Amino acid sequence: MTIQSGTPEAPLAPLGDSSGVAAPMLVDQRSLAPRRDQSNELVRSVGPVIRVAYGWISKHFAAVLLGMILVAILATFKQGGLDLMGQQLRNALVLGAIYALVAIGYTMVYGIIELINFAHGDVFAAAGFYAVFIASTLHLDSLATGSFGGLLLALIIVFPLSMIAAGITGVVIEFVAYRRLRDSPRLAPLITAIGVSFLIEGIMLVIEGPDNVATNQADWITGTAFTIGGVSVAWTDIFVVGMALFLMFALGEFVRRTRLGKAMRSTAQDRTAALLCGININRTISATFFIGSALAAAAAVIYSINYGDLKWNLGFHLGIIAFTAAVLGGIGNIVGAGVGGFIIGLIYVFGGSIFGGEWSESLIFAVLVLILTFRPVGLFGVEVTTRA
Amino acid sequence: MLERLLSLFRIDTGKRDRNQGTTVFWIIAGTASTLLLMGWLLPWFVNDYSAGVGYSAQDALVSSPTGIGTFCIYVMAVAMVILVLSPIAEAIARARGSAFGKRADRIRFIAALVGLALTAVVWFLVSVIQEEPLFGAFTAGTYTDSAVWLEMYGFAMAALAYGARDWVVARQSVAFGVAALPFGIFLPLMFHQAPDFLLWAAGSLAIYMLLALGLNVVVGFAGLLDLGYAAFFAIGGYACASFASPIHNIHLPLWVLIFLGAAVASMFGAVLGAPTLRLRGDYLAIVTLGFGEIIPDLATNNVFNLTGGANGISGIDQPHYGALDFSTSPRWYYWSLLIVSIVVIVFLRNIERSRVGRAWVALREDEVAAAATGINTTTTKLLAFAIGASVSGLAGAFYGSIVSIVSPDDFSFSVSIAVLSIVVLGGIGNITGVILGSFILTFVIFWVLPNMNEWTTTLSTTVHVPALAGIDFSSYTFIIYGLALIAMMLLRPGGLLPSRARRIELESAEESESLAAVQGVA
Repeated sequence: MTIQSGTPEAPLAPLGDSSGVAAPMLVDQRSLAPRRDQSNELVRSVGPVIRVAYGWISKHFAAVLLGMILVAILATFKQGGLDLMGQQLRNALVLGAIYALVAIGYTMVYGIIELINFAHGDVFAAAGFYAVFIASTLHLDSLATGSFGGLLLALIIVFPLSMIAAGITGVVIEFVAYRRLRDSPRLAPLITAIGVSFLIEGIMLVIEGPDNVATNQADWITGTAFTIGGVSVAWTDIFVVGMALFLMFALGEFVRRTRLGKAMRSTAQDRTAALLCGININRTISATFFIGSALAAAAAVIYSINYGDLKWNLGFHLGIIAFTAAVLGGIGNIVGAGVGGFIIGLIYVFGGSIFGGEWSESLIFAVLVLILTFRPVGLFGVEVTTRA
Repeated sequence: MLERLLSLFRIDTGKRDRNQGTTVFWIIAGTASTLLLMGWLLPWFVNDYSAGVGYSAQDALVSSPTGIGTFCIYVMAVAMVILVLSPIAEAIARARGSAFGKRADRIRFIAALVGLALTAVVWFLVSVIQEEPLFGAFTAGTYTDSAVWLEMYGFAMAALAYGARDWVVARQSVAFGVAALPFGIFLPLMFHQAPDFLLWAAGSLAIYMLLALGLNVVVGFAGLLDLGYAAFFAIGGYACASFASPIHNIHLPLWVLIFLGAAVASMFGAVLGAPTLRLRGDYLAIVTLGFGEIIPDLATNNVFNLTGGANGISGIDQPHYGALDFSTSPRWYYWSLLIVSIVVIVFLRNIERSRVGRAWVALREDEVAAAATGINTTTTKLLAFAIGASVSGLAGAFYGSIVSIVSPDDFSFSVSIAVLSIVVLGGIGNITGVILGSFILTFVIFWVLPNMNEWTTTLSTTVHVPALAGIDFSSYTFIIYGLALIAMMLLRPGGLLPSRARRIELESAEESESLAAVQGVA
């Protein structure tokens, strides 16, 4: 359902007394009289132009955006040759993989209960700290840097454990903060979500301190895998992108093939109907939070292995950027979120290389505003949620 | 037991005649007790041991009582103990379901009056007669008259609460105004020895109250969740900084700047509001959040060399009108902000009850229906954005002038969240509630927490607990915002003082809930 804003083209005509008999004045007639359009000449002449431009941009939004990205990539090529372009492409892919994983959590939760889970970015950051805690208590750092087998073992230990821990965090958040507000006005759970986000950030600030925390995981995976032209691709890059793609593929199969995945899809489509079909709504929503948070945890471990440090408020900006990715791909659309993550990675890196790195985040926020203004359904135009 | 205690904080739905205003009664009674305790403990409160009423009274207790002053302080102590302990006793009694009669009110009223009279006597002895022997062991110190002010105000509030309980309960907003306004007016006199407290009152309390009042227009009246509200604050602040500092060598007077800040901010409010008009609820929230991040980013990156980059703009003029030198004491800022706040409050109250205010409510409750009844949703929403932003810009201009330096860090997301927490805590859509919320939250966040470090350091050296000294309490602000937002939404979604519409909504919530269960509508 979309809402037409603006003055109605044909307002109600005043109640006529065609019979000639004065009708009893039930309503103050003045309030029913047609309101004149109060906009002036300029606005009226500019209006259609804006409307046409708006329509054009929203129709061709994907083309415009991708075209601009292409221009940015070419500009980078002109600036620093193939080497710089290749390096930036690699950076964009690595960043995009992380955004994609976090974006999936946003899109799943929004798809199923129509709530922007503000705390999701902070669950990501918290999961990074869980992973550090797990690695330090089990002494995984020396194991991982020792041999390839040890690294594999460390990864096999640290990924599931931190994913489970983060998943439980997500489920607890849903249970404590969102479940009781599921049927209240939409502002209420949103405000709670912001509250949860700040609570988690505050706890991390108190425990971890205000500065960057080195995680010792940057030297888990080292070395260059291969070099194309002047671009050296590290094993970490391959690991990051490969792991992200694997997880996304696994999630896609899970949602497509399992019973729980089917339950999630039907709950997202129509909660009441799903309930009538015998689906346990609460369990399905909890499972969605668990999976979304677990993917964020995987992203956090990947982030920590790739960049080597974490910060208490890391999840805030990263969360907004990942949310932008989710909106770009069409919120509620899991594949879209994955693709959107990579596109946002491209915008972040190449926008930064053109305008300067300090503008990257502003650029993403601007993209967010533009998408929501011109194309709220996302690039692929699939109307997944009716209320978007 | 817990259920009973929680029910104290829930809104009574059935008996609207008497119970609807008990919140304000409890707030006044509680504040009275707090002020009495504060006056008593002031030497510790301001971290200085050079005497105060309470401190000297404790001195007097161990030595022999001589003189009228000491006698007065004894009786005051008794009255204070009655007034501090009895509300707690009453709360427990009510929680257990037993009655707390009218006679108790009368006793407390008399105690409050006696306390008030004796405090006046002490003040007279301290500041007019200034004769030491009258006091016995009591010697007036640096903070004595602040303590006396606090005691008098505490007793007066207690007298109001217990003497006119029915009136307080029936007319809660008026009663709140009667209790709060004199405090607001006399505050600089009460705390004239504590300039940092005055700075808190002007730079935090008054500024955040204005911000919350402005956000209340957008969130409370029009129902549009704005998470980037600090952006307009920043615009006001930077407008003030640009036109009253050496950076561009323009020096406009403050009274021009507050209008300028308000005008520029409201323009930005309308401009930023325009593209977001089609969006609803959470999408609007996230877009405004994006704007709220972009504006400080622009300032940090020193766009067009206007903003001074990450260091901000310093050396902002502080007005100087003859004898009125704003740079000497925050009190002049405080009083001007008080006047501005009163004007803004009156303005917002009136606009809430005007045609526009009703249009906002209609828009908030059902946009489609509002459009169908002929409300121009575009202009109505833009007006909410513009008015909310203009109040914020005005606050920003004052803020820039008070602290004399603006930098991008002052306008981060946490400012938006602080303001939102105030509105949610106080009562979304209720001006009285928002004022109350700004008192509570700014006191905790900007006064108690920063000072907590000092207090605990002192405490840790006196009681030898080194762990206390290491805690940085200011890092707990985020946790407090988070808990305030979650707890209010879960336990009392209308806020401490819910607006009337909200109260009616909550009353009918139970009915519609059962209706939804029957129809299966989520």
